[in-house]
Amino acid sequence: MEKQYWKGLEELRNDPEFEKLKNQEFAEELPLEEIFSSKAEANNTTGRRDFLKILGFGVGVATLAACETPIKKTIPYLIKPEEIVPGVANYYASSYFDGRDYCPVVVKTREGRPIKIEGNDLSPITKGGTSARVQASVLSLYDSSRLKIPMMDKGPATWNQVDKAVMDKLVALYGASKPVEEVKDKKGKVVKGAAAKGNGATGKSANIRILSSTIISPSTKAVIGDFVNKYPGTKHITYDAVSFSGMRMANEESFGTAMIPTYRFDNAKAIVSFDADFLANWLSPIEYSRQFVANRKLRGSNKDAAMSKHIQIETALSLTGSNADKRIAIKPSEMAGAVLSLYNKIASKAGEPTYGSSDMGKADESIKMAADELWNNKGKALVVSGSNDKDVQLLVNEINKMLGSYGSTIDITSPSHLQQGNDAEVRELIEDMNNGKVDGLILYNVNPYYTLGKVQADAFKTGCAKVGLKVTFADREDETAANIDGFIVAPDNHYLESWNDAEPKKGHISLTQPTINPIFSTRAAQESLMAWAGIENKSYHDYIQDYWRKNLFHESKTKEKHLMFEDFWNKSLQDGVVEMVADAAPASEEKGKDKPKEVHKDSKKDKAKEAPKAANKAAEAAASIQKSAKGSDFELVIYEKVGLGNGNQANNPWLQELPDPISKVCWDNYLALSPATAKKMNFKQGDVATVSVNGYSVEVVVLEQPGQAADTGSLAIGYGRTNAGKTSSSKTKVIGVNAYPFTQFVNGSIQYFVTGVAVAKVAGKTHGLAATQTHHTMMGRSPVKEASLEEYRKEAKAGNEQEYVSTMDGKQKPEDVDLWASKENPGHPRPNHQWGMSIDLNSCIGCGACVIACTAENNVPVVGKLEVIRSREMHWMRIDRYYSSDADPKSEDEKGDLKKMEVPSEQPQVVFQPIMCQHCNHAPCETVCPVIATSHSSEGLNQMTYNRCVGTRYCANNCPYKVRRFNWFKYADNPKFDFNMNDDLGKMVLNPDVVVRSRGVMEKCSMCVQRIQETKLVAKKDKRKIKDGEIKMACSQACPTNAIVFGDWNDKNSELSEMGKEERSYHLLEELDVKPNVVYQTKIRNVEEAKA
Amino acid sequence: MRNTFIYRSLQTLSALAFVILISSNSFAQDGAALFNGNCTSCHAVGKEVLGPDLKDVSKRRQIDWILKWVKNSSAVIASGDPYANALFAKYNKTVMPAQSLKDDEIKAIVAYIDAESAKAPKAVAKATGGAGNEKAEDDHTGTILFLCGIVLLVLVLILGKVVKGLNKVVRQKEGLPAPIERKPLPALWYWMRTHKKLVAIILIIFSCWSTVKGWDTLWNIGVTTGYQPDQPIAFSHKVHAGDNGINCVYCHSGAEKSKTAGIPTANVCMNCHKGIKESDLQLENGAVATEEIGKIYKALDYNPSTQQYGNNPKPIEWVRVHNLQDFVYFNHSQHVKVGKIACQTCHGEVQEMTSAKQYSKLTMGWCIDCHLATPVQVKGNHYYDNIVNYYNMPDTVPGHQHLMKPDTIKVVNIGGTECARCHY
Repeated sequence: MEKQYWKGLEELRNDPEFEKLKNQEFAEELPLEEIFSSKAEANNTTGRRDFLKILGFGVGVATLAACETPIKKTIPYLIKPEEIVPGVANYYASSYFDGRDYCPVVVKTREGRPIKIEGNDLSPITKGGTSARVQASVLSLYDSSRLKIPMMDKGPATWNQVDKAVMDKLVALYGASKPVEEVKDKKGKVVKGAAAKGNGATGKSANIRILSSTIISPSTKAVIGDFVNKYPGTKHITYDAVSFSGMRMANEESFGTAMIPTYRFDNAKAIVSFDADFLANWLSPIEYSRQFVANRKLRGSNKDAAMSKHIQIETALSLTGSNADKRIAIKPSEMAGAVLSLYNKIASKAGEPTYGSSDMGKADESIKMAADELWNNKGKALVVSGSNDKDVQLLVNEINKMLGSYGSTIDITSPSHLQQGNDAEVRELIEDMNNGKVDGLILYNVNPYYTLGKVQADAFKTGCAKVGLKVTFADREDETAANIDGFIVAPDNHYLESWNDAEPKKGHISLTQPTINPIFSTRAAQESLMAWAGIENKSYHDYIQDYWRKNLFHESKTKEKHLMFEDFWNKSLQDGVVEMVADAAPASEEKGKDKPKEVHKDSKKDKAKEAPKAANKAAEAAASIQKSAKGSDFELVIYEKVGLGNGNQANNPWLQELPDPISKVCWDNYLALSPATAKKMNFKQGDVATVSVNGYSVEVVVLEQPGQAADTGSLAIGYGRTNAGKTSSSKTKVIGVNAYPFTQFVNGSIQYFVTGVAVAKVAGKTHGLAATQTHHTMMGRSPVKEASLEEYRKEAKAGNEQEYVSTMDGKQKPEDVDLWASKENPGHPRPNHQWGMSIDLNSCIGCGACVIACTAENNVPVVGKLEVIRSREMHWMRIDRYYSSDADPKSEDEKGDLKKMEVPSEQPQVVFQPIMCQHCNHAPCETVCPVIATSHSSEGLNQMTYNRCVGTRYCANNCPYKVRRFNWFKYADNPKFDFNMNDDLGKMVLNPDVVVRSRGVMEKCSMCVQRIQETKLVAKKDKRKIKDGEIKMACSQACPTNAIVFGDWNDKNSELSEMGKEERSYHLLEELDVKPNVVYQTKIRNVEEAKA
Repeated sequence: MRNTFIYRSLQTLSALAFVILISSNSFAQDGAALFNGNCTSCHAVGKEVLGPDLKDVSKRRQIDWILKWVKNSSAVIASGDPYANALFAKYNKTVMPAQSLKDDEIKAIVAYIDAESAKAPKAVAKATGGAGNEKAEDDHTGTILFLCGIVLLVLVLILGKVVKGLNKVVRQKEGLPAPIERKPLPALWYWMRTHKKLVAIILIIFSCWSTVKGWDTLWNIGVTTGYQPDQPIAFSHKVHAGDNGINCVYCHSGAEKSKTAGIPTANVCMNCHKGIKESDLQLENGAVATEEIGKIYKALDYNPSTQQYGNNPKPIEWVRVHNLQDFVYFNHSQHVKVGKIACQTCHGEVQEMTSAKQYSKLTMGWCIDCHLATPVQVKGNHYYDNIVNYYNMPDTVPGHQHLMKPDTIKVVNIGGTECARCHY
């Protein structure tokens, strides 16, 4: 039975608006009638003569202007750096870490400026994958809203003034002007606090607090350690805007150490996730995306094809949920109950005690199924939860213990160092500040006034008034520095300007190296701390080297052995990543007592000992959950979007314009309601609602989101920044609303949902949403093919049925009907290469890394919200998202009754389909161009020649895939598009090998022809053929799941040719027989039967 | 029998001679390449550059000494060799860097120097003389033509006046009425009315001419062939690449590696000009060489007498001569390294120019013309294997019967005229 997809609710409902739009690519009509109507003519003062005059003048001016050749200067280096050849890119290994996401990267620089981020293939963690945020981070370097010099008292300052001000206050606190010597005992171990008092110092102790986001750099921790030694009484507190404190606390109870384990989704055959968006935002999404897809890839024989089964239980439709085989939408207040229910169901199978009622009502059957699935895959099962509640995480731990996940799908021997935030300590800090117990506060990579809940943020502000010394290392005047008086802002470098190291998990170390000199007068936060701690005449680079020499090298804990430290250092720097010997002690500051207890799944003795304890814990947790489980009429979930994440890159226009993978809305956050809930509450998409709870209220636009749990709403954090920079600022325009204030402390940690929310309609107010959703429709055709795993096992071509076209001789295969080629004359030759791409819809998770990578590689302009609303977005690559429907399209007649599909299904299945130019060998666009600006190459590329294009847009109208983009404006150097291209600094990110298009020309995916040409030239110089895999497209290189493969169809052994032979392969809109060079593979779901 | 023997021996001899000829030829060629690649930044034949003039060097020194000296001059000096020490003292105690050349290679260079020594003075004289005369001639022709034109115009006017006067006199004598006196403009109208055919022909010719001219002008908008702007430093390519024979890629090293050939950085200048601090050479545009060299030192903030660099360097702002549009991607290394195109093909005889001058039109038509005509260096380059095989396929293969098989594979045959080879 054929499934019907629709691109949006508008299509499903057959909105008159949608019907009007779907037949035209561009939303606005030209006012032709107005011009040609007789009424207008009467008033029209521009006569024929005037027209001719203007024409003549125009031609004259244009000719005169063209005659003058401007003098251009060319300024070479005076002394050329040895490694730079102008025009040739250099690549440096580095690491991205912003306090949340970790990704080892390779930075492409041209003439000393970073222009593109790629993943580092050598990393065993990410294996070359990236995410949208990592890809976009290069633009954040060229952010003109960053602070150019330090700030004091809201005015500019010099570093000397800053250092003096800080030192004066430190001296006032500690009394001594004489620097306190570092005190070491015999073993070289630094003696902390009290012991240091008596020696040389004044003996004073003050309460300084360093509040930072998670620090995974061992050297940075050592610097903070030195600062703490120098100023006794200093305490380092870690605060993550999106906290995993609950999980840490739970693990402390379960394993005796507050840590985050390493998850192995690639070992799991059954995955149940409670609101953990592990493909987009949970812990280490790049790593997990690769692992998750790794055992869902289908290659070779279909008979014994196997895939993991993934069940997602969540409230809002997340990226992970949209990739799940089964998804259950429940209210956030029911989440803890659902975990308990699963616990009870597993416990009864395992013969362990159960607690309380385990009936989940409507969702109960689904949870039962999840329990069966997990139990059947015992030892290869994994349960994860995105909850920040200790009790929920405790129960999840107990479930995983019963399932034998530890040692197989969860590794606690090499714990992750991400997400070290401790909510309780943050809360205590704010209390201490208000009680006047804090003398100094140093903020490092945190913006608490923006990210704390309403109550805490207000308390933080009042508390700050009682703190004498206030310093922040923020790279801009953020919400905290702008709204709270007295902050000294000592701007930190961007990570592409800094030295650093990172230990994201035990045994994996990587380096961050600067790829450009600091653009502004900024200073690494570590160097600021070192300067204040009296470590002078030493750069942070030297500090890291010394640290590595002492702690990493001489104990020879590295897998690869080196005789000299310099060799070790240089190799590490070149590779970017270092692997340590598995049993080596952790290099970070964690001490022996933190060592996690090993959990042996088959050790009976351990089990027997632990059993009563575990039962106790589970009982306590269950009791606590049952006590606190209180639902309400309407509940609100606070979540992170794929683009902006926690909001630290909110001033990045690339990320702002990245359409959300699910809603396809950019430039906004919104209150997502399920269509049924919206109807019940009398909301339409675009209406504005007041959402208020616990004394905080926002006015936010409503979006109808299928898949959202009934009677819930969801609102993304990262928006509503009043001081992010020119993109989102209270001085110009704030993008979206801030959802952080809705978060609150419950059960010792920050909770990201609230109950008892009041939602009221703001009468008469609407807000335009910039969605790329209902535009560029596929005109009712079915572009995505899919099948269930069962069907695929039976028949490899399941879901991928042959398309036919009707001809005079009856139905024929499209490839047999050809206007141009025949058997005798097979058409235009491809003597050397025929480039192509393969996109596995079964591997694509829709994360959008490719879209940003394409934007960065090809100088794709940002157009802004208004232009996106006019459907003039310029992305060369888009990811179409289709919801499925339960309605039967063939119910009444052959074409199906679309009207019957107007009932939105509550739980749609979701598919993603990346679409770029398909490089058709029989391209419809080429035949309609009146000036041959688009033509075909002998290597199979559909070439777009901007300098030839006159902008008729016939090609876009004739493109069945709607992948062509028209430059309605000159987006560079245009103050009306005040994004990175209207900014000398922002323009530094442009790829010099790709032209910046001007107004009035068409553009589209070129299949990164600059990369093809570059590699061809390298091969020609080496007098050899191009190796398969040598050329990578920006999109395929960025992809964390290797869903996109680029190659040469003429190379019969290439991976591309192999993918093309798969039975799942098909061409998009095959019935048109445009012979695309891009091929897709059917999506296979691990369900018993594809939804009817 | 005897004849055969003579024949055979003759054959052998000629073959031997041929081989010797070939080998000696290639020997000299190698020498030229090696000399240009390794020596020309400091040495020339028939001229003193940074180091001594190498003319007749083999007559001055034994080959063994030369071998030793080239490989490690410091060792020779240290050994107390009097000639070496004298040289060292004469050239400001500048050490000739040790060259990693094999004995055979050095001998090849010496052989090349010997060959050059024989013809060195002549070539230089000819080159300078020729260029100067041509230029002078050019200037005169224009002036003479212009003067002739003026004289002719004056003559025509005088003659017209004379004819008019004579006419008047004749009419008076014959008693005819005086011709109607018209003002010049009505007179022209009258003449045009009476000579309609002639006017029509003139008009047609004029409009044809102006159309052609206008068309030409429009096509050449933005084409700046011959553009030779003044540069901040009166650098003479003629002195460096011409007279001293420095290889182009010694300074424009990017040409073999990158898309841009690159403007040499000042540290490249200093390779030689650390030694050549002054020169009484008078450049063609009146600049004095010593002053121009001083500009490099100023840019680098270098003090030639103390040999110290200061900390106030200022980059040199050259004026760009070749301005390719931003929508064109051009890669030097593709043409120089892979296509083995000589620099002069596009840039003209740069070694004859003072400051750089745009020689080619740099229009798309100019590119395409070359791509249509230039053979691809497919030999020995496996990258092109598929293409060579393709064009060698028999006619029986479908699609091949209509294929135009080129004699040699030209750039156009490998898609060298397709849009996205240069526009992306």
